[in-house]
Amino acid sequence: MNNKEIIEIFKGAAARPDEQAEYWKKEQESKVIGFMLTDVPEELIHAAGFLPYAVNAEEGRLEFADAHLQTWACSFTRNCLASAVQGKLSFLDGIVIPQTCDTTRMLMGIWKHTNPLPFMENYRLPRQVDRPSAREYLRGELERLKKSLENFGGSEIKEAELAASISLYNSNRGLMRQLYAMHVENPQLLSGKELFLIIKAAMVMPREKVNSLLKQLLNHLKNKGVSHVKGNKIRLLISGTLLEPLELLDYIAEAGGVIVGDDFKNGSRYLECDVSEDKEPLEALVDRQVNRIPSALFDPKKGLRKTYLVDLARQKRANGVLFLHLKFCEPENYDYYDNMQAMEKYGIPAMRIETAYGGLPQGQLQTRIYAFMEMLGGGDAD
Amino acid sequence: MKDLMADYYKQGAEAKEKGIPVAWVTAVFPVEIIYAAGLFPFYPENFGAVASARKMADKLSSFAEAKGYAHDLCAYARCGLGDAHSKEHPVGEIVKPDLLLCCNTQCGSLSKWFEVAARFYEAPYFLLDAPQIGMEADDLCKKYYTAQLKELIAFLESFTGKKFDYDRLREVMAHANEACRLWNAILETAALKPAPFGFFDACFHMAPIVTWRGMPQAVNYYRTLQEELQNRIQNNVYAIKDERYKLYFDHIPLWPKLRWFSEICASHHALVAVSQYTHSWAYSFDLEHPLESLAENYTEEFVNRVFDYRIQRKMQLMERYNVDGFILFSNRSCKPNAFGLYDKKNIISSITGLPGVVFEADMSDLRFFSEAQVLARLESFFEQLESA
Ligand code: SF4
Ligand code: SF4
Repeated sequence: MNNKEIIEIFKGAAARPDEQAEYWKKEQESKVIGFMLTDVPEELIHAAGFLPYAVNAEEGRLEFADAHLQTWACSFTRNCLASAVQGKLSFLDGIVIPQTCDTTRMLMGIWKHTNPLPFMENYRLPRQVDRPSAREYLRGELERLKKSLENFGGSEIKEAELAASISLYNSNRGLMRQLYAMHVENPQLLSGKELFLIIKAAMVMPREKVNSLLKQLLNHLKNKGVSHVKGNKIRLLISGTLLEPLELLDYIAEAGGVIVGDDFKNGSRYLECDVSEDKEPLEALVDRQVNRIPSALFDPKKGLRKTYLVDLARQKRANGVLFLHLKFCEPENYDYYDNMQAMEKYGIPAMRIETAYGGLPQGQLQTRIYAFMEMLGGGDAD
Repeated sequence: MKDLMADYYKQGAEAKEKGIPVAWVTAVFPVEIIYAAGLFPFYPENFGAVASARKMADKLSSFAEAKGYAHDLCAYARCGLGDAHSKEHPVGEIVKPDLLLCCNTQCGSLSKWFEVAARFYEAPYFLLDAPQIGMEADDLCKKYYTAQLKELIAFLESFTGKKFDYDRLREVMAHANEACRLWNAILETAALKPAPFGFFDACFHMAPIVTWRGMPQAVNYYRTLQEELQNRIQNNVYAIKDERYKLYFDHIPLWPKLRWFSEICASHHALVAVSQYTHSWAYSFDLEHPLESLAENYTEEFVNRVFDYRIQRKMQLMERYNVDGFILFSNRSCKPNAFGLYDKKNIISSITGLPGVVFEADMSDLRFFSEAQVLARLESFFEQLESA
């Protein structure tokens, strides 16, 4: 397979994630456990022998959720619930919903009543990580989840199995980070949209398969050998909760931009932070959770998000920061003013655009992105 | 009541003058610890409610919106942030925090708002984190909360430079027990038919149980109120004229339209008798095990519970107060209490056979209020009620 063909496989999986799940069920005769973004310890689901499947933008029609969830809930949860209501997730044997905000905290009950699944769990991550109590609690919560998965699967998750899953996921994240670096160096070979589509696809495909495809893809791309950016590119850091719709990455590319970094749940937050392979696996999972990169969930004292973003922008030599905020996402909105102030203070040009799943006239999005890129001096398209 | 709250705010200002640290706290925070530590607790949510009742929420919010805060954040937060970012203080300036203490059982909106405020006022911030509990009490969460109470006490000791006094804590908790007992006895009078007291009265008299729980003032206040209610009962003075129906209401009232709303209900001879909201403060502490008992009482309340538990809780209250119907307020400001209401309404109606309605508005912000729409919903609900 050449690189184009591999990319096509990923694109196909991102467009029809359900087929991945159906295929898995037939091939492996095993179950599919959905999870919502972010932070769900997929390694546990994988070690239990299930396919961890990211429920994320199944092209559902939002209005299908309206009888259950107010229209002023974020379009991500409306989209997920709408997919369930429409029967587009009927292949799921279960779901894990992380409690990251008030919406996700309330979603499980609604989901249970509208679309019950055999396995339904919340992942109640702690909202502070600075004090010792958080670690102890988190350990207990992970043990609880593990036990629940074991009961559902009918067998114990052995330490060696969990260690193997951790190792698989670490290499998956590592490969995707390499791919990311490849895009930064060479957006002509791998566009921003392709990169994020691959991340999206990787969240629903068997990770063993993803890894082997990624290795091939990386080889191809390395062999192409061009290692410098053609033309004058605007180096852009993008920040927000969930990156959607991915078309906006095309607009950025058309205006001569290259994505050099991000902190999205369906972007770098998913790729960063490996799990130590030298520790007892559950302890290692605890470590990872408390050391994740900052997000809108809460401010860890040891590293504020605004500081993280400023540092990241500098480290990646970004020309500007584009905040892409999902409308109705409360946590994200609370952080906006401080983030923006920090950018101003350090002289980093920044702008916010509100986005939504399935919504927003694309023309408008395009115009606003072009305007920001213009402000940054304009770059050359590929 | 007006006097009492004026007194409370005056104390806030005085605390500042006397150098007593002002701790911002959330409504469902174990304030007993703060009183025991000798700090003055200030409730920014209360500031929001007062601003809303005075129809000033929209204005305060506009100051926050000018800074990029969205108009769909909780309006209490918008009031607080609006006040912070403006030189105008249409309801008086918020009492600035020396430290901020938040518990997130109620919602995650508060913890984000407090984080932002902590950065703004450059004051230390402590979060008492409470994971959501299912149908059964949860040992993991209780342990986590108890461990955090210890961390909180250490945090306060280092802030005040004084050793925490557990005897004083027990004393405060004993006052809180008595205030809660009185408060709930008062709420119970709404079950009488006809009743001398209803939900709207409860909203009016609620501030001391929220802010002064743990202090003798709350106990005194509710003793007097209880006597007054006894008098009303003896003299046949009732909350509304010719009470025919009792209703359950969720959750926070529509502050700027409280009177309008209560008059509509009264015109249909319906008394809003009960709401989970006013029943949030029903603690009963075990003074032998203060921290564990605080952990239990504060985490096991409905605000920290799952969908099914909340349905059960609502139905229990409906049964206890023998209501004829229920009104659920889909409050744009309050996602944790609004999300799920559509399904809850259907489930409750199908189990109890009671008529119910969900209406849309915002507890503070009249830009999200359409009188015609809400009225139409309520009228059709009352038709159903009256024909049942
Ligand atoms: S996008 Fe924001 S509001 Fe929506 S589920 Fe995620 S954190 Fe919650
Ligand atoms: S109204 Fe709701 S969202 Fe706002 S502070 Fe209260 S519980 Fe939180």
